[in-house]
Amino acid sequence: MMWLSSGFIFRKGASRYHRLDPRVKLLVSVLMFVTALIVRSIFQLAIVLAFMVAVAAIATVLKRVARTMALTATFSALIFIINVVFTRNLETSALYASRFVAIVVSTSLFFITTSPDELEQVMKMFRLPRDVVFAFVTAVRFIPVMMLDALQIMDAQKSRGLELEKGNLLRRVRNMIPILIPLVVNAVVRSGELAEAMESRAYGAVPRPTSLAVYRAKTVDRVVAVAAVLTFAFTAYSFYFLLPTFVP
Amino acid sequence: MIEFRDVTYIHENGVKALDGITMQMDAGETIAIVGENGAGKTTLIKHVTGLLKPTSGAVLVDGVNTRETSTATLSRKVGIAFQNPDHQLFSESVQEEIAFALKNFGFPPDLVEKRVTWGLQLFGLEEYKESSPLILSGGEKKRLTLACILAWDPEVVILDEPTVGQDAIQKEKLAGTIKMLGSTGKTVVVVSHDIEFLWPLQPRVVVMKSGRIVADGPAPELMTKKEMLESARVAEPQLVSFYQALSRRPESPFVDALEARLWIEEGEASHRGGSAVT
Repeated sequence: MMWLSSGFIFRKGASRYHRLDPRVKLLVSVLMFVTALIVRSIFQLAIVLAFMVAVAAIATVLKRVARTMALTATFSALIFIINVVFTRNLETSALYASRFVAIVVSTSLFFITTSPDELEQVMKMFRLPRDVVFAFVTAVRFIPVMMLDALQIMDAQKSRGLELEKGNLLRRVRNMIPILIPLVVNAVVRSGELAEAMESRAYGAVPRPTSLAVYRAKTVDRVVAVAAVLTFAFTAYSFYFLLPTFVP
Repeated sequence: MIEFRDVTYIHENGVKALDGITMQMDAGETIAIVGENGAGKTTLIKHVTGLLKPTSGAVLVDGVNTRETSTATLSRKVGIAFQNPDHQLFSESVQEEIAFALKNFGFPPDLVEKRVTWGLQLFGLEEYKESSPLILSGGEKKRLTLACILAWDPEVVILDEPTVGQDAIQKEKLAGTIKMLGSTGKTVVVVSHDIEFLWPLQPRVVVMKSGRIVADGPAPELMTKKEMLESARVAEPQLVSFYQALSRRPESPFVDALEARLWIEEGEASHRGGSAVT
């Protein structure tokens, strides 16, 4: 849960990166994501990760990104071990494990700097169905609420003598039942109440509702978008033709 | 019984929720913790069962530091009924729900049955004992959570906003239960915004604001300090307001409590045809 909270939940920020058009932030994250996928050596990936860290520093979310990287390391270690077992190649395994960290960080940078409202606008711009957009954005918006619910349920059950960390694996899984049932029931009840509240506030009354905020790209947004595309093109070219590569 | 020694608690996001709390809760005391939302009341009570550990300072329950023992062990002595009953109900039936903690604490089956029956009767839930707790009304769920806590007979009972969703009669019953618990030597801590509910209990009142204790004393003393209560965003009891409003009006029929009592007794005496109190 710490991983989810640190890496994917938006918190208000005042940095220039936060103020960018959400479409530009999405473009930057997508390009970093793609770059992480096309790298061919651990050295190249290190450059991409350094770039991501620089973006995080500009967005003043370096601490959160560092924590995300640290928490991702567990999964990353698992990927490394599995790859070592099957490929028996340390460098390839290290590349795959680090690539996972880079992919998570690039995605995380978009979500932690983009509010659910901005996310909704971006999805609408891609002409996705309104119900799909609403469902997705509401799900994102409710992640912190669900997490808080889960923590409070755990507190309540621990206060009734439930020991979550006690026993073997099967017992631990069974211990989760008193946590999961209230969590799921609350989520279902809440979704029903939300649907009623939305309908009573005229959700779906008109096919094309108006928006509170209309995003128009400013000069700085255009400059950042062009710079991101150029950087990506140059990086991709360099990785394939200029920089030394490692190909197993 | 419970001792807070210069307890400070800072959340992960850097917000200081408790700031240098030092207090003692003795056996048999009834204590009301009041204060505005975000004052640190729930954070304070979560320290008693070790759900939260202090950033600095120490919390001792019967001399045991909460850092050095588990929540399950502390919960045997301290029962907390949390504010939202939907956060704990999960069993197939109401009686199973009450039995959950008793089984966790390893009570023998015959005692579990006795305690479950007692809890159902105390809170008027016998007719629902086979029903799913999820279909109960808000007030019934709240009563069920209280039954769940009292069933294992903890030495300290902490109730977080127990009157939410309760009608007047249930509130009265709850007040009676709190008095009964107090009379049996239990420590009862009530976290509540419902001053009208707390006033008849005449508890020791702890007023919190911004993670600090701003006042601590008996209800008759603290509940009449309007400015202090308002600074902590707590309303004074209506009875106190009523009395003070009367005492401010020179034309009112009585100006203080003594005169009011004399006036009533005089009326009663004349009604009986006897002499008035002088």
